[in-house]
Amino acid sequence: MAIANVLDPTALRADDITTPGPDAGPLAGRTVGIRLDEIWRAWDWVSELWAAEFRAAGAEVVFWRSSQGRTGAEGEKVALALEEFLDRIDIALVGLANCGSCTGWTVHDALAAAVRGLPTTAVCTDNFTELAQNLARRGGHSGLRLHVLPYPLNEQQRGDVDAVARTHLAGVLQTMGASLETLAEAAV
Amino acid sequence: MSTTTQNIDTNAAAPVADLRDCGPEGCAIDWLSSKRHATEVDDITAFTQFTLEQGWGDGLPAIPPTEARVREFLAASERYPDEIICTLPPNNAECTVEKIAINAVMAGAQPESMGLLIAALEAMAAPDFELFGQNATTAPVVPLMLVNGPIRDALDIPYRHGCLGGDATSALAIGRAVRLVMRNVAGQVVNVTSQSTFGTPGRVAGILFGEWEERSPWAPLAERRGVHGDAVTVYGTMGTMNILDTTSQTGPEFLEMIGKSLGYPGANGFNTSMPYAEILVAINPVWAQIIHRDVPQLEDVQEQIWRWSSLGADYLTTNHREQLEALGRVIDGRVYLATTPQDVLVACCGGTGGLHATGFHSFGSCLTQTRAIPRSNANKMQTTT
Repeated sequence: MAIANVLDPTALRADDITTPGPDAGPLAGRTVGIRLDEIWRAWDWVSELWAAEFRAAGAEVVFWRSSQGRTGAEGEKVALALEEFLDRIDIALVGLANCGSCTGWTVHDALAAAVRGLPTTAVCTDNFTELAQNLARRGGHSGLRLHVLPYPLNEQQRGDVDAVARTHLAGVLQTMGASLETLAEAAV
Repeated sequence: MSTTTQNIDTNAAAPVADLRDCGPEGCAIDWLSSKRHATEVDDITAFTQFTLEQGWGDGLPAIPPTEARVREFLAASERYPDEIICTLPPNNAECTVEKIAINAVMAGAQPESMGLLIAALEAMAAPDFELFGQNATTAPVVPLMLVNGPIRDALDIPYRHGCLGGDATSALAIGRAVRLVMRNVAGQVVNVTSQSTFGTPGRVAGILFGEWEERSPWAPLAERRGVHGDAVTVYGTMGTMNILDTTSQTGPEFLEMIGKSLGYPGANGFNTSMPYAEILVAINPVWAQIIHRDVPQLEDVQEQIWRWSSLGADYLTTNHREQLEALGRVIDGRVYLATTPQDVLVACCGGTGGLHATGFHSFGSCLTQTRAIPRSNANKMQTTT
């Protein structure tokens, strides 16, 4: 038996932000940006319901629909649109991590928001939680806020998805570090 | 079976076996910066077990990347070990010449393959190749490597009979080396970063083949893409799809059969998550000659495959059709697998028995990349003797 040195074949990014970033705080008077995609209609439905609650609390809500076309001329347009979207908002809610590559791009876009100092929460479904966490770590921000919706979701009917959205409203607010109190209530 | 390991101070001086070991100018310092692990190196079974315990291995027998082996590999490459070739997602770690050499040694690849390995990894790291998505997706996508130029023979890269698998060649280890780099440097690990539902055999030893340029009626694929001579083209494929045709007699008939076979609703190119896609078709030399006889212009070959691989929108389910309509993907009642005829890539390879073509469906938005392969002295010697 001969013992000798072998060289480690692995490499890992060294830097990591382990903290979640700023809380969103009261939503009243703030602009919440919700990032949608071209795949998951269930995420459209969840976002619509949450947006209505945010607006009722005095927030402005803007949507941006991302494309998975992140290469070539299309990719340049998407990157520019993402920057413009982030310029317009105070708080980012980014989804939906519900497949492998779309989890990648969800985390990617969430990190782009977080690096600007925006209160940022990524939204995933249960089966993609670990992937989202692993990708956030490899993106240098393991502390990224992540709210988890049940899986399967996109396979559900509208009524069932709306029920999930209602059930998860308090949870997503908690993850965001946000509250729905109005400006008047917050001032008391 | 011993899997003893201990961490060694990476700054400790190591014996210098060869002055060429740290680059073309030679030097007397140790430039290898990777962490050392002391382990059994004579027993391949024990070492392979060690690689699995460390999370480095793919399960196949692995060659211990001892300092001497890695130095020998680097000496042939004429590249400095600390040279950063690229960063590979999702780890976003720096892929150095040294890390490539270590993984190549583990895979059993020859030092002469370093130029190809570097060119292929540079191509895969290009942002437009979207390796980020490919390495995380639920899809079974794997970057295939198609090689042009004299280096095909120098590295024994298959391009004739059985070129996609089954030929006995040391080039298999080159494909495996790339896969080990994906695992160990890019960090593509099943159920950690990669969510691939099924995976694919091509993720073990890669898909590496050449074009049979000498039998092709068309210019080499890389040359058509602007790179002459030794070159590698990387393409994110969902796997291989056989197309059998024992009936067609003319070029247009073969192209119709190929195109219609490629067009099926579950192909990524038809999915709403992929706003655009390419398609690659490998055509055997017998069919290639017939197609060229009847359809002399390659642009027309591409156009016919593009047209025949489209689907009538009414063939799709209502939900699918409505989503594609909303995205503006339905044109005159049809949905196209590849975005334009120019996105149909054609290569000539395979055996002279004919009868089959192979379709490679694209992952989608990853755009094919071609890079020149730099030649090392080792390559040059091999091809001139």
